[in-house]
Amino acid sequence: MRNTTGNVMSMLAIAVIATAGCNKKEANVPAADSTTMSQAQAVQVNSVDVGRSVGSDMRVTGSGTEFARRDTIYASVATSGTGPATLVARWSFEDGQVVDSTSRSISPMSDAVTEFHITKPSAWPMGKYRVEVMLNGRVAGSQEFMIK
Amino acid sequence: MSDFTRPKADFSDVQSGSSSTAPDTPGAPSQARTYTVVKGDSLSKIARHLLGDASLWPRIYEANRKTISNPDLIHPGQVLNIPD
Repeated sequence: MRNTTGNVMSMLAIAVIATAGCNKKEANVPAADSTTMSQAQAVQVNSVDVGRSVGSDMRVTGSGTEFARRDTIYASVATSGTGPATLVARWSFEDGQVVDSTSRSISPMSDAVTEFHITKPSAWPMGKYRVEVMLNGRVAGSQEFMIK
Repeated sequence: MSDFTRPKADFSDVQSGSSSTAPDTPGAPSQARTYTVVKGDSLSKIARHLLGDASLWPRIYEANRKTISNPDLIHPGQVLNIPD
């Protein structure tokens, strides 16, 4: 009789320890929600580069900040993150005059590159220019360049 | 002292575009073009430069009804949406 009671007590003690161990393990598993949230990062602008041409990946080939009067000028905007976003390239001259403004609505699934370009058949006035890139209405990057 | 002032640069014939490795947002226009009015501009002049036909000025007017109350009155610096 004493042995039977002792066995039952031992089994109960083992069961309690085992249950406590299980609870501890579960507490260390990260919540699924926080993992999901960190993966869905909103779109952000990583860089703005200007150049005379772009490749099939939309990145400028041979970036530079000096152009000739008949050049087409490209601005390549690299972004990371996912979801809908609106990019605007606002080109301006040294006197503050807006040369052109073009917007593009994108929904990237991963890192992406978007190019904007301007050209002027009658040749660019010489001087200093600036391209400002806005993401969802806020300035996210800019580059200055010269037409010589 | 010289009273020489540099004439304002004319950007009325600037052409622009864009493309992306990312898909366009469904339901949103993938690309929108704007034009900034310079001194001496009229809607018909802008339509001739940008749409190739001065008689298409009502299309620009319609695309900018929120900011143009009188089609004969546009101001330098005013930014207009240009329809395709």
